[in-house]
Amino acid sequence: MKLQMLGCSHRHASVAIRERLAFSPAQAEAALDDFRTHFPEVEAVLLSTCNRVEVYTAAEDPECGPTHQDLAEFLARFHGLNVYDIFDELFERTGEDAVRHLFMVASSLDSMVLGEPQIVSQVKQAYDLALGRHSTGPLTNQIFQAALRVGKRVASETSINEKRISIPSVAVADFAKQIFERFDDKRVLVIGAGEMGEETLRYLQDEGARDVTVVNRSFERARALAERWQGRAVPWEQLGDALVAADLVIGTTGASEPIVSLADYQRIEPARYQRDLFVLDLAIPRDFDPAIGDCLGVYLYSIDDLQDACERNRQERDKELPKALKIIEDETARFMAELNHYATGPIIKRLRQGWQQPKEDELRRLFNRLPGLTDRDRQEIQQSFDRLINKLLHPPLESLRDEARHGIPHGLLDALKRLFQLKD
Amino acid sequence: MLSGISILCFAASYIAALALEISRLFFRSGVRGAILLAFAGAGLLAQTLFLAYRARTTSAAPLSSEFDWYLVAAWVLAAMYVYWTFSHPRTAVGLFALPLVLGLIAAAEFFAKREPFPTSQASQVWAAVHGIFLLLGVITVLVGFVAGLMHLVHSYQLKHKLRPMQGLQLPALEWLERVNTRAVFVAAVMLAVGFLSGMALNLVNRRHDLPDSVQWNDPVVWSSGVLLGWQLAAAAFSVLYRPARQGRKVAYLTVASFVCLAIAMGVWLMSPSSHAPVRQTRAKRRANSELGMRIAELGAESSPALAAAVFHSSSFIQHPLKLP
Repeated sequence: MKLQMLGCSHRHASVAIRERLAFSPAQAEAALDDFRTHFPEVEAVLLSTCNRVEVYTAAEDPECGPTHQDLAEFLARFHGLNVYDIFDELFERTGEDAVRHLFMVASSLDSMVLGEPQIVSQVKQAYDLALGRHSTGPLTNQIFQAALRVGKRVASETSINEKRISIPSVAVADFAKQIFERFDDKRVLVIGAGEMGEETLRYLQDEGARDVTVVNRSFERARALAERWQGRAVPWEQLGDALVAADLVIGTTGASEPIVSLADYQRIEPARYQRDLFVLDLAIPRDFDPAIGDCLGVYLYSIDDLQDACERNRQERDKELPKALKIIEDETARFMAELNHYATGPIIKRLRQGWQQPKEDELRRLFNRLPGLTDRDRQEIQQSFDRLINKLLHPPLESLRDEARHGIPHGLLDALKRLFQLKD
Repeated sequence: MLSGISILCFAASYIAALALEISRLFFRSGVRGAILLAFAGAGLLAQTLFLAYRARTTSAAPLSSEFDWYLVAAWVLAAMYVYWTFSHPRTAVGLFALPLVLGLIAAAEFFAKREPFPTSQASQVWAAVHGIFLLLGVITVLVGFVAGLMHLVHSYQLKHKLRPMQGLQLPALEWLERVNTRAVFVAAVMLAVGFLSGMALNLVNRRHDLPDSVQWNDPVVWSSGVLLGWQLAAAAFSVLYRPARQGRKVAYLTVASFVCLAIAMGVWLMSPSSHAPVRQTRAKRRANSELGMRIAELGAESSPALAAAVFHSSSFIQHPLKLP
């Protein structure tokens, strides 16, 4: 049995190489078909995301499996590249290491952003695609189904994928979504044109925010930003009106003093009727007077508050990491024991079959010599023989199972083959 | 077999579910959600069977007595909790809802030892409308209270930038606010229909000279009136004062509604009332019944009509009778 993974990831390869080796879903289908024509006995799954391109292969017969060179050439050939241009960027995992690696990937412990939740569905899509192209088999089915289960286990038993660590993602996921149930009916007001504001807008639009208003001292810059986000620009003089209408405000100006003082807010406060207002003050120095946070219905977060939350999340993740790694180790050991035991299956089958024939011969001889036996007697004798065979086979099979915990028990298997003259 | 199900069966299941909900605050577990749902679901199933058995064996159940009424209220709330926990397994609604469910069950078990509500043929429809709408009104107030409490806890955490406690994941403020606002209005309508149908029921009883009628100054009547008055005032306040429909103000309104309801329920359960008289011991009931028959026998000699009236009253009104 041969399990192998060859590919590149954000840990070993540059973006340029990852881009060149990436597969679209259609390309992945074509690549799997191509792979099967070259290696018909080998199971294969192709995982291609922004951060990694990995080919997982498995073969019952180690002699049939592709070599490192074969897989590198397959990747290079499909993308029309010279294999020597990519060879050093690729890394390989085999056997137990390949299983552990896939479990780490599916649990997002190998992701660029630790704990990012998309990877589980990407692994599932890759597996489904391979299933659809009939390039999977018993080994890849087992390993990918186990990987998806491990991914879910890590997600449910640790909080590693619940904690976000970038300021915009924390602002949206940890705070905005605690206040608003949906964003498609919310008015987002961006004050200024800072980079962090744009990043936050990206997260908000992913959550469904559509109504974006931009206010900036330079109307031209406001209009340019509004166009990028399909929003509308409003002159600086109308900031008060925009604040009355807004549900969510992002402050990112470079002003040297607050642009909205407590007095300014108190002037517009009656017009808001205490409607909830979520203010993300991402500017340094701050755009909003901190005292505004005490007003009814206002939830004001400065960049310091968000940075504190990010840091806490990072620490939480670090605390969860050993727990997640322990799950990976336990699951890998369990999976390998099952897999090794699975590898002993053909020998066990042949061993049982080898004992069946003498049993049946002996039974036939016995029944011929004792013609007066009733059907019930015959059945009892037959069951007795079966029990005897099971009892005789039990110790060697137990020994096989024990040995399989530490790897494929080649020595024992050879001994059994020779002792019982089991032929391939 | 169904007769073997007791209140303890489902109360114990809900207590186990509550203990699991509380354990969310201390540690994470991959299997807790399934075990929690199993306990809550088992409790709900046992309670459903218990109520079904009572409906089959007791006339006019499941709303024929205060005991049943409280159990049905607990059942509806528990069903809502199970549904919510199934669809939103990470939200800690049970921490707020299950104590109310257990409170209603405790009220049924320990305080609602009353006679079944008396009803006659003429007033059956009014009695059903009265019972159902009051039940719905009370459940709405309880749902509003759960949402209001969650809103206050959640908004306090967000306002003060506190880290949410482990396991205490709550719905978004916007959703809680919507539930609160609706609860204020729906509870007002339900309680109004329930209260007015109760008045109609009493008028029908009085018109037919039925012994089931209740005095207008009965504690159950005036405390229900106060509860309705508060709920209508809260709804009117929300309509007339826009900020009261938003944010923490509406949460305060629903919490205040619950306080009003708790006081009203205290009056319903503790004060003597002819709405559902306190249940007597079997010996006392037999004595009253024999006494009524004796009076009827005596009265029949002088006035048959009086005898019939006295006999009728003694079989319904369970207050101790005094000899003239």
